[in-house]
Amino acid sequence: MMNTSFIELKGRERALALLDENSFNELLGPFDQLESPHLAPQGIVPESDDGLVIARGTFNGQEMIVLSIEGAFQGGGVGEVCGSKIAGSLERVLADNKNGKKIIPVIIFDTGGVRLQEANYGLLIISEIQSAIVALRDYVPVIGLIPGNVGSFGGMSITAALCSDLIMTNTARFGLNGPEVIEQEAGIQEFNSRDRKLIWDTIGGKARFETGLVDQLVEDDITAFRAAIQTAIDKKPTTPRTHQVERFLSAINQLDPKVKHTRTEVIGYLNNPVNEVPVIEDAKTPGRGRTWFAALTANAVSVSDFPGVLVADIPFNGKLTRFIAVVSNASNRYPRAVHGEVGLQEGWVLAKYIRQAIEEDATNAVKRNIVAIIDVPSQAYGYNEEMLGIHYACAASTDAYATARLRGHAVTGLIVGNAISGAFLAHGLQSSRLIALNDQEINVQAMSKQSAARITKRTIAELEEATKKVPAMAYDIVNFYSLGAVDVLIDGINADAPDADAVKKVNDELAKAITAGDFTLGQRLKTEPAITKGRISSILVRTKLAEQWN
Amino acid sequence: MESFSFKYPAGKKVAQRAHVGVVGSGDLEILLEPGNNNQTEFIVRTAADGFQEIWKAVFERFIALNDIDAVVTLNDFGATPGVVSLRLAQVLELANKIK
Repeated sequence: MMNTSFIELKGRERALALLDENSFNELLGPFDQLESPHLAPQGIVPESDDGLVIARGTFNGQEMIVLSIEGAFQGGGVGEVCGSKIAGSLERVLADNKNGKKIIPVIIFDTGGVRLQEANYGLLIISEIQSAIVALRDYVPVIGLIPGNVGSFGGMSITAALCSDLIMTNTARFGLNGPEVIEQEAGIQEFNSRDRKLIWDTIGGKARFETGLVDQLVEDDITAFRAAIQTAIDKKPTTPRTHQVERFLSAINQLDPKVKHTRTEVIGYLNNPVNEVPVIEDAKTPGRGRTWFAALTANAVSVSDFPGVLVADIPFNGKLTRFIAVVSNASNRYPRAVHGEVGLQEGWVLAKYIRQAIEEDATNAVKRNIVAIIDVPSQAYGYNEEMLGIHYACAASTDAYATARLRGHAVTGLIVGNAISGAFLAHGLQSSRLIALNDQEINVQAMSKQSAARITKRTIAELEEATKKVPAMAYDIVNFYSLGAVDVLIDGINADAPDADAVKKVNDELAKAITAGDFTLGQRLKTEPAITKGRISSILVRTKLAEQWN
Repeated sequence: MESFSFKYPAGKKVAQRAHVGVVGSGDLEILLEPGNNNQTEFIVRTAADGFQEIWKAVFERFIALNDIDAVVTLNDFGATPGVVSLRLAQVLELANKIK
């Protein structure tokens, strides 16, 4: 019998093909005309559904929602409307499942990640999608499909890594940093973006399945996809990969970062746990993360066994509070993470110490606060990083932060330095409250200007011109504040050398944020900047969705 | 990006609204909605600047063969005239399809 290709279908047809015949019902479809308001001002033609199909229906009689990303539109990039359609739908599905109405979510990933033309919206909203997935997994399997054409990259790969079950074909790619971006950031000797064999051996479907980073490898056939989804639904719950902290840390410790490891070697490390831990020198490289960790914890000694992530519990405002910072260490074993990037080890170590706090407080009525001190220049760009699945490292800490909130820990983020891309998703963006220093050296962005220009085929001058029209594309903290996700910008602080007054000022704001008693990411849509300008479309999508939901 | 629209007199009603295509490389999406103004109105946004005359020729050819009172919205990402004509035929077929 001839196969009926699933990959060749467009986003809408893919959703139709998965659901039972005549059960397809689209919400916020093309005629609702909820298109992106941010593209036309940049001279880019929008799409009437912003590249995302929300399809309600049944699957073998079971209620299901399919969220299908259209890869042909803007490379499947997630902007404000597209992303809010996913996040808003998952929030509704979560509420229904909590009320005993079982709806299984399926997400079709065909995406380059954050839509660079709406940059910081992408980051914010991807973190909201991730938060919903982590909460949903307690009720139903969240099933992810990576059929191929674009594949899955960037922040959306961190999202895919959170799914209960991932289904992929051999013609799809699944990684954090795209080959062109790694080459741009780390050099051609690190990753040659024109070496097709290298790419498929590292991030191709077969490679990912063999390494155990996806659950099912299927043929490009509609029937095969449907069968795989049924298998995912029937599967007994297993330990999510993002909870397997010891296993991944053991592999990270065995790997020699100076050598490019083959897939076979990496699979060996993952399947043969060892307890030996290599010695890592602590160069105590100066940086804002380290400075503020010391200032806010009164020079507490870090309890972390890894010098790139500092952790300390101190009483703060009358309650035990765990401060966590990712810091630069010139002696980091991993050369791609010496500047304080969130690399493989940083992501999994963050997960380890957040989970430790959750476990230690599991039976306590009072849960300690968690404060993320944010100064992260980016995720680590490198070959070994992709091979061992750096998107899973970022997803592990994302999962841990989101879980901490769900278990009743107040999670607050303090932006003292840069907050970039996957690193910000992994360390900071799961905070229910964010506060920031009003410092002009702080950058908040989805990608460096050089890489963003290369990927969107624009000059840096054109890119900077676009930021004037779309604040989400800007790199500075004041524009980021205008999106509504930051509670307060703290003025008049020397971010590199805070004095006692500065520390007191920050402590006061931190105390306010912590005691707000928020355990969701919902506040971001309620602030004055969000309502008046920053998140108008995100709010509209949720309002319209509520009208059409039943 | 360029935006423009064309209007032509028309009289025949269409059965329902319809949507085809995506705003992807070499393609376009078309939304067709029944109208009330005895005209066919084409509203175009295109990524390829400077081709208004060609759009006009494509629409005139379509109008010569089809009488529809409708608003037709086209979001184009560099589709060739052949692709545009094909998508117009598709969307009209869907709009007149009896369920």
